Amino acid sequence: MEQLTNLIISDHELALISNVLHKLMNDTSASSVMLLDKSGQVVTTQGSSTRRNATSLGALLAGAFSSSRHVAELLGEKDFRTIFQQGVHENIYTTMIEDQWLLVIVFDKLTHIGLVKVLSKKACDELSRTLERVRADTTRQKSSVLNIQFRSSVEDTIDLLFRD
Amino acid sequence: MALINIASHEIHCKIVYYGIGYCGKTTNLQYVFKSINPSVRGEMLSIATETERTLFFDFLPLDLGTVYGFRTRFHLYTVPGQILYERTRLAVLNGADGIVFVVDSQAEKFEENVQSITELEMNLRRLGKDLTNFPIIMQWNKRDMPSALPVAVLERYLNRRRVPSFEAVASSGTGVYATLRSISKRVMAQL
Repeated sequence: MEQLTNLIISDHELALISNVLHKLMNDTSASSVMLLDKSGQVVTTQGSSTRRNATSLGALLAGAFSSSRHVAELLGEKDFRTIFQQGVHENIYTTMIEDQWLLVIVFDKLTHIGLVKVLSKKACDELSRTLERVRADTTRQKSSVLNIQFRSSVEDTIDLLFRD
Repeated sequence: MALINIASHEIHCKIVYYGIGYCGKTTNLQYVFKSINPSVRGEMLSIATETERTLFFDFLPLDLGTVYGFRTRFHLYTVPGQILYERTRLAVLNGADGIVFVVDSQAEKFEENVQSITELEMNLRRLGKDLTNFPIIMQWNKRDMPSALPVAVLERYLNRRRVPSFEAVASSGTGVYATLRSISKRVMAQL
């Protein structure tokens, strides 16, 4: 059951996440590593190959992953936890963290998929612990971010930009 | 589920346009894409069949810029409307913060609309959403069609929760921004 209406990631937690992604990218010689929310939003990205198209990639990869989970359900499989997309030059390995985040690793043919699988599992364990903290902190931090001034400003901005 | 990134000062929200095939979901996004200030919009993605029916989803990222220190972004999605894509609709709904239910106002589409909103409510329950608080608005589209049903009829049978509703002719842009403003504010209010 989805209970929270939002996830709030602090400086400290983002630094932890970035360290895990950076280490994973170096250890696997990947060209990019991304962390996505299951809704397709990019939490953060490391490496150059995905930076320019990060928003579109986030939407497409999360859509593909969500779709594959429904395929699993139709086959009577409990879940597909990972997707491997293999290209001539680039490959993408996507794995889910605690039903909330997606870890995406983009790597070329010089990196063996086995290494990516093993090291991403380790990274997932570390990211799960961070996610647990994010979930616990979300309610506490919400009021400090979404204050009255912010809410009023965002309404004005919506009126200004979304008009005929 | 909205993502609030304090470290990078960003807020992301996901809004999904839902409804039957050919009701005008993609047309809403296309109108926004072509008419909004180009600095606000990103690239529009459409995963469509060769006949331009939506196969998976359309995606349009909108960037409101920095609001009170936070870069605020809305990601607009459509679902494929055709009946056979029910599972795909569920996949796109995952993580949505708000829904625009687009209704084809024509009398001959009435039954399909009823089935679609029943399906939407079922899908939202499957995703664990509390329908009493979840931001949903209705758009009565195709008001220019000769067989369009009176708004009172649509309100009575399709808007039992009495959520905000807007008349529209998405192909000419009428009602498109009123709808977008309303759902955006409701999503932000719910954060």
